[in-house]
Amino acid sequence: MADWIVGVDVGGTFTDFSARDLRTGAAHIHKRPSTPDDPSRAILEGLKELQQKTGIPGADIVRFAHGTTVATNALLQRRGAAIRLITTKGFRDLVEIGRQVRPLIYDLQEDAPAPLVSRVNRLEVTERIGSRGEIVVELTDAEIDRLVAELKAAPQVESIAVCLLFSFLNPVHEQRIAAAIRAALPEVYVSISSEVQPEFREFERFSTTLINAFLQPEVGRYMERLKSAISEVAPNAKFGIFQSSGGLMSVDKALEFPVRTALSGPAAGAVGAAAAGGKSSIGDIITLDIGGTSTDVCLIRDGETEIAHVRDIAGFRIRLPMVDIHTVGAGGGSIAHIGPDGLMKVGPESAGAVPGPACYCKGGTRPTVSDANVVLGRLPASLAGGGLMIDRDKAVEAIRTIAEPLGIPVVKAALGICGIVSSNMTRAIRAVSTQKGHDPRDFALMPFGGAGGLHATDVAKSLGIKRIIVPAAPGILCAEGLIEADLQENFVFTCRTPLDGSLAPIETAVQQLDEQARAWIALEADGAEGAYRLLTLDMRYVGQNYELPVTLGQPGDEPRLPDIDALKEAFFEAHQRSYGHVDREAPIEIMNVRMKAVARLSQITPLAEKPVGPAKASEYHDVWFDEHAPVSTPIYPRSTLEAGVRLQGPAIITQFDTTTVVPPWASLTVDPALSLILEIDDAQ
Amino acid sequence: MLNKIGLDPIALEISWNGLKSITDECFLTIMRSAFSTNIKERHDHSTAIADAQGRLVVQAEHALPIHLASMAGLMTHILDQYGDTIAPGDVFIGNDPHVAGGTHLPDINLAMPVFGDGRLVGFVANIVHHADVGGAAVGSMSGGLDEIYKEGLRIPIVRLFNKGVLQDDMMRILLLNMRLPEERKGDLNAQIAAARLGERRLQEFITRHTASYMEAVFDDIIRRTNLRMRAAITKLPDGTYAFSDVMDDDGAGTEDIRINLVITKSGEKILFDFEGTDKQVPGNFNLTFNATQSAVCFSLKALLDPEVPNNHGIFDAIEIRAPLGSFMNCVAPASVALRANTCQRVVDIVIGALAQALPDQAIGAANGANTSAVFAGIDPRNGKQYIYLETLGGGMGARATKDGKDGVQVNITNTSNLPVEAIEIEYPLRVEEYALVEDSGGAGRFRGGLGIRRTIRPVDHECEFNGVGERFRNRPWGIFGGTAGSPGRFLKLDGEGGEESLPSKANRIRLTPAMAAVIETPGAGGYGKPQERGQNMLEEDMESGKFTPEFVAFNYRK
Repeated sequence: MADWIVGVDVGGTFTDFSARDLRTGAAHIHKRPSTPDDPSRAILEGLKELQQKTGIPGADIVRFAHGTTVATNALLQRRGAAIRLITTKGFRDLVEIGRQVRPLIYDLQEDAPAPLVSRVNRLEVTERIGSRGEIVVELTDAEIDRLVAELKAAPQVESIAVCLLFSFLNPVHEQRIAAAIRAALPEVYVSISSEVQPEFREFERFSTTLINAFLQPEVGRYMERLKSAISEVAPNAKFGIFQSSGGLMSVDKALEFPVRTALSGPAAGAVGAAAAGGKSSIGDIITLDIGGTSTDVCLIRDGETEIAHVRDIAGFRIRLPMVDIHTVGAGGGSIAHIGPDGLMKVGPESAGAVPGPACYCKGGTRPTVSDANVVLGRLPASLAGGGLMIDRDKAVEAIRTIAEPLGIPVVKAALGICGIVSSNMTRAIRAVSTQKGHDPRDFALMPFGGAGGLHATDVAKSLGIKRIIVPAAPGILCAEGLIEADLQENFVFTCRTPLDGSLAPIETAVQQLDEQARAWIALEADGAEGAYRLLTLDMRYVGQNYELPVTLGQPGDEPRLPDIDALKEAFFEAHQRSYGHVDREAPIEIMNVRMKAVARLSQITPLAEKPVGPAKASEYHDVWFDEHAPVSTPIYPRSTLEAGVRLQGPAIITQFDTTTVVPPWASLTVDPALSLILEIDDAQ
Repeated sequence: MLNKIGLDPIALEISWNGLKSITDECFLTIMRSAFSTNIKERHDHSTAIADAQGRLVVQAEHALPIHLASMAGLMTHILDQYGDTIAPGDVFIGNDPHVAGGTHLPDINLAMPVFGDGRLVGFVANIVHHADVGGAAVGSMSGGLDEIYKEGLRIPIVRLFNKGVLQDDMMRILLLNMRLPEERKGDLNAQIAAARLGERRLQEFITRHTASYMEAVFDDIIRRTNLRMRAAITKLPDGTYAFSDVMDDDGAGTEDIRINLVITKSGEKILFDFEGTDKQVPGNFNLTFNATQSAVCFSLKALLDPEVPNNHGIFDAIEIRAPLGSFMNCVAPASVALRANTCQRVVDIVIGALAQALPDQAIGAANGANTSAVFAGIDPRNGKQYIYLETLGGGMGARATKDGKDGVQVNITNTSNLPVEAIEIEYPLRVEEYALVEDSGGAGRFRGGLGIRRTIRPVDHECEFNGVGERFRNRPWGIFGGTAGSPGRFLKLDGEGGEESLPSKANRIRLTPAMAAVIETPGAGGYGKPQERGQNMLEEDMESGKFTPEFVAFNYRK
């Protein structure tokens, strides 16, 4: 008898599985090609393969945690429901005007995408709530009847977004409209803005709600399909869907709020990175997740991923708590070319999976980052456990197409491609770290994804970072993150209150949110070991147009509103850290109250797989680290590196689907968690 | 010489990336440590690196087009005035459009020299738009001011730091002359911090690579940008291209101000000649030469190569002539605060002139304004004074392959609006409508974008409305047969069903709670003959409600 938890992360190329027995810590991983036309097929197939490989009985799987890109892809491809928007009279163009900015200031041809709902399908209702939540214009029953009649007569309505001004202060009009629609059109999905994201700033709230409505039918169908398929294989498994904020939610929540899964995949990687860092007692981490077409970067402080509240996906704005991930258009498939200024550039154009880099023999001919790594001897002859063979001659041919016009040797061009792609990533990391007031040198760099380990030392060197940590299973960290994730739900209430008089409205809000959080824990977190609520206030100086989240207390504390002086001090500290100064006299106000409810799922440290023998180079390859001459470099299979091993570069560490390069100017040790710790030599 | 120290297409790309990181880091430093909302929320600031001759080399990714030439102007003046006396640790400051290279007084320029191997090798510079620099009106941006002395404190180029030592007497003069001196000090400190950070980062660059390598990198960046810009210019057909347009008025009594442009292009040379443009005007819409240069560079870059880097290499590829004392090259004591409206128009004019040569890139005239609306009064909820300022977008011109974008910021501006819910929480105002103006886009094979309408009413008190608009009489024209978009307008609703039309520069309009102000920004011009517009697009125009059947029937009649 065992209790298995299975994490499944669906990526564009591979679907990854990670399984762990909560009683013994036994662990398995599995990887198989994705099936983009119906992602649930690869999940089901892979699950069966995993069972065959490991003998896990279906009945012993107690929890199934899933990170999905269905929502992201639907947005990117603009493939979703036929929707209607219902909004306050006078404001149907608001979702089209947005914040009235254009994406690129110098580009006369580039526009923000058209709204997900066309103008004729945006219906106005006569009603108005004021800025204190008071009803300025009453919504009449006659108006609701007229609206419902219009919707009934409309063809092809699958999903409806109800977005009224100031509904976050008084949702009564939204609720009445939703109730009437649900009664008259029971088969139609309804999203209301006061439930999807009850916060001020109407464009962001409306846009998030529209996206939710757009995704609901598509994601709903997928979830239903998956749920019934999984129930055959693992009848006892509880389902958890990973949300962009870094925690799991129930399938019911995911059906209600599919917009919360828009960043599901990359967020799971960041959570997996934080967990992997924790096992090696490293809490301050910058992640470097290098994939085929892009690289995701995230800052982790004290083991916690940074949270952002606004993000554009495919040009559509979402305002929700999301793990703060920064994406750069540079990856293994990025194509090198000569720019209009005669200089070598790498990306953002990518060879993608098809035709792919030239070295993979799938028809690609243009020079990519992966081809450069092959030319330099840094990528071994086969990838993904032998599933992908590599042709060095094709890589050399591809690199030659850029080396010749530049009049330089092939090796120099390959080194140049690696140098430029690293400098692009360096620039991105500088932006995310310094923008938040952090010095990258205070962090360890954690590479993962297929190509992270190939470029990590170059990136670290140019940032002045001295330490790199390569987790035990860097190719499957997202699936690992799913297993480590907690159940999570976020509650928010906007109530602007000055921080100088009575805090009664805040007290009331805290109480109400806390009740909601407790109710959620009782309902959804059944079986969880530890649960806690965490209170955060969004505060600002009066007159400022942006808020700073100030978290009060630690996980485990009872959420409690401190007195005004303590609140001020907490705000000053946050302001000092984020902006470098404070004004102790200026008036402060609270804009939002947030309550995060977290239920810890039972965790166990995975049993580290025993190394199969002493570290011994399996072979030696000629690897280029500079343009003068190649260096004979030992290749170590990762599975032979036991804790305590120390190596001086050069060395290359290979494993299932990842390669880690240790240049001559770095050294490596294996820590007790079997993470590789790379140190850059001081002279560098 | 370049090859000798190993400057190749790879090393230069990486070094250039490194320099961009430095300007970006300086940009973020200002954003993080400035005090005012204008910087933190609207990012109305720029940072850059220049070489020892004062030529701009690298600008931050999010730097603003209007700041481009202004920084270059500052450098020239520093070198002219201080030459050999420039020393490590100096920090120069200036804002004056007439003697310090600025474009209007709120933009305060800062520059710090960088030394390597014992010689001057470059500068780091930054500009911040300060929310107030004194003068006759709060915000130093009001209409109707007819000489620069009324617009705020004029700062020539002076040393704010002398060899690392703060010139406290200078700082005290500055702060005494500005409203909200604490906020000004905070923003100036942010600028100083950014300059010092940039200087330190360039020192690190020199330590890693040597000063002469850095100089070689600077030269090569400018040279390659120049070659890229010239290559883009060469593709323009040779010829002479003329265009002329008229601005409504200057808010101080001058109407129909003419801007005249003749572009002569031959080989890789291009000359923009503003001969025939009206003389400078009393109202504060005048451009200094640097502002004209910024607008011309923006237009050419947008038309020919939007990704060409912003540096001196662009200036060198373009020749501009504007008669001294004209609207395009004003002299002291001309007032200039609202020059952004005029810059918007210059961009329209350059595009109009080059439309025949660049039919695929050119677009119809945009809303051509930087429409602003200010509501001020005493908030009845707390008895405190409030000022709410907003700039609004409008229509964007139609393009060769698609309609103009509706309701958007155009040309040299791209600032966000304030959310309706933020306005009403913050101020005793009610926004009754925020919508696209129907029928405001000019007709054409592709139609012009629609303007924006905002209707605002004071709640429980009387307030004052001030507006600055353009293209209220001179409509945004179309190209290749496209028709003009609608003009903008300001209206006062009297609460009894009547409406009163207000002037484009509306000053001190009283509004009671029974009244409301309506701001309608201009639409934009169409592209191509209306008769060529597809029937399905016309049906979509009407179905969406963006155009009435009457408008379509009249403007698209065969």
